[in-house]
Amino acid sequence: MDINWLVISPPLVLLITASVGVLMGLSFRSTRPVALLSLLGVLVALVLNAQLFGRSEPLSAFGLRYQADTSALAFNTLILLGTALVLLVSFDALERGLGGSEYYPLMLLSATGGMVMAAAGDFITLLLGLEILSLAVYVLSAWRPNARESEEAGMKYFLLGAFASAFLIYGIALMYGATGHFTYARVVEQLQAQAFTQTALATLAGAFILGGLAFKAAFAPFHQWSPDVYTGAPTPVTAFMSVVVKAAAFAALLRVFALVYPNLNGALTQALVVLVALTLIIGNLAALTQRSVKRLLAYSAVAHAGYLGLALLAADTDGGARAVIWYLTAYTFMNVGAFAVLSLLTDRNDRGDDVERFAGLGKTRPYLAFAMTLFLLSLAGIPPLAGFIGKIFVFQAALQAGYTVLAIIAILTSVVAAFYYVRLISVIYFREPEYAEVGSKSAMTGVAIAVAALATVALGVVPGWWYGLLGVGRQLLAGF
Amino acid sequence: MLSGLVPTEYYVALSALVFVIGAVGVLTRRSAIMIFLSVELMLNAANLALIAFARQWATAGAAVALSGQAAVFIILAVAAAEVAVGLGILVAIFRYRHSADVDTLSGVRL
Repeated sequence: MDINWLVISPPLVLLITASVGVLMGLSFRSTRPVALLSLLGVLVALVLNAQLFGRSEPLSAFGLRYQADTSALAFNTLILLGTALVLLVSFDALERGLGGSEYYPLMLLSATGGMVMAAAGDFITLLLGLEILSLAVYVLSAWRPNARESEEAGMKYFLLGAFASAFLIYGIALMYGATGHFTYARVVEQLQAQAFTQTALATLAGAFILGGLAFKAAFAPFHQWSPDVYTGAPTPVTAFMSVVVKAAAFAALLRVFALVYPNLNGALTQALVVLVALTLIIGNLAALTQRSVKRLLAYSAVAHAGYLGLALLAADTDGGARAVIWYLTAYTFMNVGAFAVLSLLTDRNDRGDDVERFAGLGKTRPYLAFAMTLFLLSLAGIPPLAGFIGKIFVFQAALQAGYTVLAIIAILTSVVAAFYYVRLISVIYFREPEYAEVGSKSAMTGVAIAVAALATVALGVVPGWWYGLLGVGRQLLAGF
Repeated sequence: MLSGLVPTEYYVALSALVFVIGAVGVLTRRSAIMIFLSVELMLNAANLALIAFARQWATAGAAVALSGQAAVFIILAVAAAEVAVGLGILVAIFRYRHSADVDTLSGVRL
């Protein structure tokens, strides 16, 4: 058994930082020292992760159970960037009244789990990553003190999450029964063998695993938890869930879908087609009727899972896998940005996220209004912003893989989506302010918003460099 | 090698039954604690299936059989971690509401 310390160093750094952070939190009244420590840990992990890019030799640890291929490294970059931005957003929000410095170690632990999930080359590693990711987020979503809906969010997310992971675990057990292995490479070997007879069992296992992962990725009809949990959780945690948890779930789905599922019954792919169509339609239509901006962004997150799912269907082509990663990159920046703006407008305990809070923002806080407009336009997919390019890549991959009908549904629903995003923008600029003094100011959140806004524009104007970087060195998803 | 023993199919059928009982329990029970117990039942169903399969795969070599048995311990650890976190959240809710009935959680949809 090989332990390649270099390869596992990025998640290891986060783990160590989290452990130190817990102890450090005991000796400070303020949460800020732990926040800065966590930020430092994430930046070190980013550097360690970045230097693994573009190496020609295959990188793996623990046999093939942890694979740092280009896909895993790209997803880990996204997870770390998302975590860093959310840490910046949390920096003042936590001091304002959310309290408790254990918040930061929990977030780092969750990101560690996400990174393990993205690099998992084995069903058991995938499960462990998923649990490390989820358990911390269950606690974080119940973080708002004395807020009934926050504790409810934690409880709901926990019960449904445990239910979903039970399905995943049972699917893994059945897959072991069919093939005798957990490692993707060995499982695929067995599935492709001439003498393989357990096709029915393997297909059933695939269905259970798909169900478990679809819950984490919030595909309709497994999405019902997400609006409630997103609304109940503290805004920075909602931002974290919508980008980091989603990135990890799609990283795992991408690998499983590109490697294992082509060898299973085609009915499973058809099932995902139905899920994606439902996600696109339900997510976008439900977002139309929302009065709360947080809930609107929650449904918009569901809808974006649909676009990502569309690219996922083309996962066994290089373009599909790249489109998933590229779209998630764009989505990470624009979505964290939108939630960061929202976190500056709600009150100390994260209450007050209705559309009226945004009325007249263009007059009272012009910079914030401009940034929010940028993020919303990008989410809507207006050129030349990042969201537009992401959609182009996704539609291109879907059409090449032959999902024409689904691509048409996606284009139609994105027209619907533009309506609710633009309506919010019109509230920002064309309605009179209804609140005298809204929200708070925070330099750190300002930095996060600026970074997210710059990245949203930069990715849209020069989309090529990150797309090209994904093709450097080895193939995107490690073969065996 | 397995002659004279209970066939693997029987164990897997039992595990499927336990899994279904757990899933039905999650969907019909109203107490958060009972829902949680039902989830534990589902996890144990998976463990039972893993052990039964591991015995069957013993013909393919010790490493294959042991990996299944090792997975059981990992899943037990996962279940224990879930209990710790879940009961923590449950206690936090119970402290001010004095009820573990999930129907009083506004808008809970399973």
